[in-house]
Amino acid sequence: MIYLDYAATTPLDPAAYEAMQPYLRPGGAHGNPASDHLAGKRAREAVERARAQVAALIGALPAEIVWTSGATESDNLALKGALEFYADRGRHVVTSMVEHKAVLDTCRYLETRGTKVTYLRPGADGRVAPEQVLEALTPGTVLVSLMWVNNETGVIHEVERLAPALRERGVLFHVDAAQAAGKIALDLRTVPVDLLSLSAHKAYGPKGMGALFVRKKPRARLAPQLHGGGHEQGMRSGTLPTHQIVGMGEAFRIAGERLAQEGAALAVLRERLWACLRELPQVFLNGEGAPRVPGILNVSFGGVEGESLRASLPELAGSSGSACSSATGESSYVLRALGRDDELANASLRFSLGRFTTEAEIDQAAEQVVAQVRRLRALAPA
Amino acid sequence: MIYLDHNATAPLDARVRETMLPYLGGPYANPSSQHRMGRAARDAVETARAQVAALAGASAGEVIFTSGGTEANNLAVKGTALAAPRGRLLYSAVEHPCVVEPMQALAARGWPVETLAVDGEGRVDLAAFEHQIKGGEVRLVSCMVANNETGVIQDVARLAALARRAGAVFHADAVQAAGKIPLSFPDSRAHLMSLSSHKIYGPKGAGALFADPAVPLEPLLHGGGQERHLRGGTENVAALVGFGAAAELARTELAARMAHARRLRDRLQARLAALPGLVSFGARAERLPNTLQFAVPGVHSATLLGLLDKQGFAVSSGSACASGTDEPSPVLLAMGVPAELALCAIRVSVGKDNTEGEVDRFAAALCGLLAGLGVSMPSVKPAAGVV
Amino acid sequence: MSATAAGPGVNPFGYSDAVWRRFTEAPRAGLLEGPGTRTGRAATPANRSRLQLQARISGGRIEDARFQAYGCPTAIAVGAWLAERAIGRSLDELAAIGAAEIRQALEIPDTRLHCALLGEDAIKSLVEAASAAK
Repeated sequence: MIYLDYAATTPLDPAAYEAMQPYLRPGGAHGNPASDHLAGKRAREAVERARAQVAALIGALPAEIVWTSGATESDNLALKGALEFYADRGRHVVTSMVEHKAVLDTCRYLETRGTKVTYLRPGADGRVAPEQVLEALTPGTVLVSLMWVNNETGVIHEVERLAPALRERGVLFHVDAAQAAGKIALDLRTVPVDLLSLSAHKAYGPKGMGALFVRKKPRARLAPQLHGGGHEQGMRSGTLPTHQIVGMGEAFRIAGERLAQEGAALAVLRERLWACLRELPQVFLNGEGAPRVPGILNVSFGGVEGESLRASLPELAGSSGSACSSATGESSYVLRALGRDDELANASLRFSLGRFTTEAEIDQAAEQVVAQVRRLRALAPA
Repeated sequence: MIYLDHNATAPLDARVRETMLPYLGGPYANPSSQHRMGRAARDAVETARAQVAALAGASAGEVIFTSGGTEANNLAVKGTALAAPRGRLLYSAVEHPCVVEPMQALAARGWPVETLAVDGEGRVDLAAFEHQIKGGEVRLVSCMVANNETGVIQDVARLAALARRAGAVFHADAVQAAGKIPLSFPDSRAHLMSLSSHKIYGPKGAGALFADPAVPLEPLLHGGGQERHLRGGTENVAALVGFGAAAELARTELAARMAHARRLRDRLQARLAALPGLVSFGARAERLPNTLQFAVPGVHSATLLGLLDKQGFAVSSGSACASGTDEPSPVLLAMGVPAELALCAIRVSVGKDNTEGEVDRFAAALCGLLAGLGVSMPSVKPAAGVV
Repeated sequence: MSATAAGPGVNPFGYSDAVWRRFTEAPRAGLLEGPGTRTGRAATPANRSRLQLQARISGGRIEDARFQAYGCPTAIAVGAWLAERAIGRSLDELAAIGAAEIRQALEIPDTRLHCALLGEDAIKSLVEAASAAK
């Protein structure tokens, strides 16, 4: 099987895997990081080391990193936590239609609880412009939530331009950076984002692990969503899973080291793939007009039906629509928001390349896709 | 190091680790993805679900996977309260912070919240409870199966039956009980029951809530639709696989583990019985076979724990989640233990890999330390064979 | 010569074997020409699925048949199955094939019922075209 679904999940980097091993074995570091004995202390040290590693990748302070069970939880904590804490500021949220389901479903839930949400439609380049956001603000807007990188198309939002404008207007800014961390350089010292969601398993770290950046200066406050022993400065209770945290820390450290070089390599591979696919008539690159992360290529194929296209490529792991929504069988709302009709949105493939993708895999994938698109088009009545 | 703090966390069983490694290093697909690798990951999660269900005689369809016991308890408490019209929420006076704090958070938002009194041994007073719920409008009653500090076991089936008669949902936190005593979700008559992987020699980062599908639950985590829309988020395949394996071992080895734990705990208890004035908490109630919480009057736990740690013994005073605070345990206070004595609490929780030798060494070390602290001791003859 | 899909051995999506084989191999796909060729066409609403069935009729029997299809694997399989079944049959025998038979032969689940109906419509269209030409 050719794996080109890195945006859905990535394999655990071997170095991260190795780093986790001592915390999966007996030998004194298996303690509960909240315990005061040696086993607990060793675990706690490992946790704090990892916290610094994650902070370093995004230009944050270690104390600004709150561990969660994943970006879904981080998104939930950011939105629900901020809305609850700042209830006296208002009850309006501005977000985009192309956010990950974790943000959209949380917003829909907040709507059932009396929050008003504005969902901005992206332009033809797949992005929501800063001007659109600013125009949508009302005196009661508490929070804006906008992803840094869209998981389906790879387009990069203008977070650096929007953040200062929102800071000026006293509106909290949450950014889902699940697809951005380790792919593009993020420096929160210079970009005044207040809350930022991170996912380990999108960056060669373990599943079930994530973090939420919560700015200290100026201090962003949240009402905790998981109550209990008061872990993570009271923001997120629950025994810390040492081995997972260590894995995330190491993965983020590696990502920082490799970022530039890996980005360049992926850009080359992606161009190689696109060069083959664009030889076909009636293929469309989704998100063409905007800057994109190097590893994602989302293409719509005219004249073929989506289910048949996917069924023709059982040896190619890619996706159409985000993994989290593919179980429901809907056609991608992101592509429909871009202006592709239902049919074309359904006949789209997202190729997301990664650290271990080879040129041979790209060539094989291209060959298979081109052959099958031709076959299906030849099968179709005129 | 001699590790005697299994109620705080249990070290990952090597056999469980073996089941996890392939999912850390190998098939790594997102279980929601529709391709073949996604389906392999999905199958692994479903196998684990069946294994966890089997630990408590539940059906797979009743299992909601979470990131741990804290999340399971939060989902049980808040999920139930938010899905029903506002009403009274009751919880025992000896619950874990991850039940108490969600309850308090709801109280701050206007829910009427009450505690259930316990007797001197830490058992919920059934007659008082029956009287308490007569007032009606009770939405949720939460009472743990076994306490993490004292090990005391509650009569959950009776409590649940009473709660049901009053039209309330009953939640039982079984995080400490699972894998230590026989557990049956159906027989407990609870609607909701929480479990934690790392308490049963599984990996940290996984837990479960058994939930009767008839009970409306508002999810805590939205997004992605996983766990039948009750808990969004990409599944932590490796941790769930490990949780499943740990559950299977806990089920098949339960009798042996219980016997072993009881033998060690009772041995320790006998060794310590000679210490003057030593108070055991909950010792007259039915307790988890592995737990012994006691206090030597006048000797603060902070002092003793530090000294024991230096000598290589890992034990605790009570809840790990609350360590680092200088407050006496609310559990002990609820049992009527005076605050001064509660501040002297030491909890030993043995595990399946502890030996009699380790227990003896601990007892000897403890006695030695107490002697050094000036606690007058009768002469304690070491048991035969112990150095 | 068009490529086949990944080959009959690999059927990871849970289609019935009958559907999968015809989708991947698509026997009798293509166009018929010449005298005696009759063409039937059908489509689902909004042209989501389209089926073309062609037959060359000689001496009251279908001598050769071809299909073309646009749609999901089941729709394509229906086309292939019809083209197969048509060979050697009279128009009346062909007309007797309805959605129920198509469903059963290909083990089509409820969610894909419309593909069987598409097949039935294509047959009707072909039979009409053949009768009109007489």
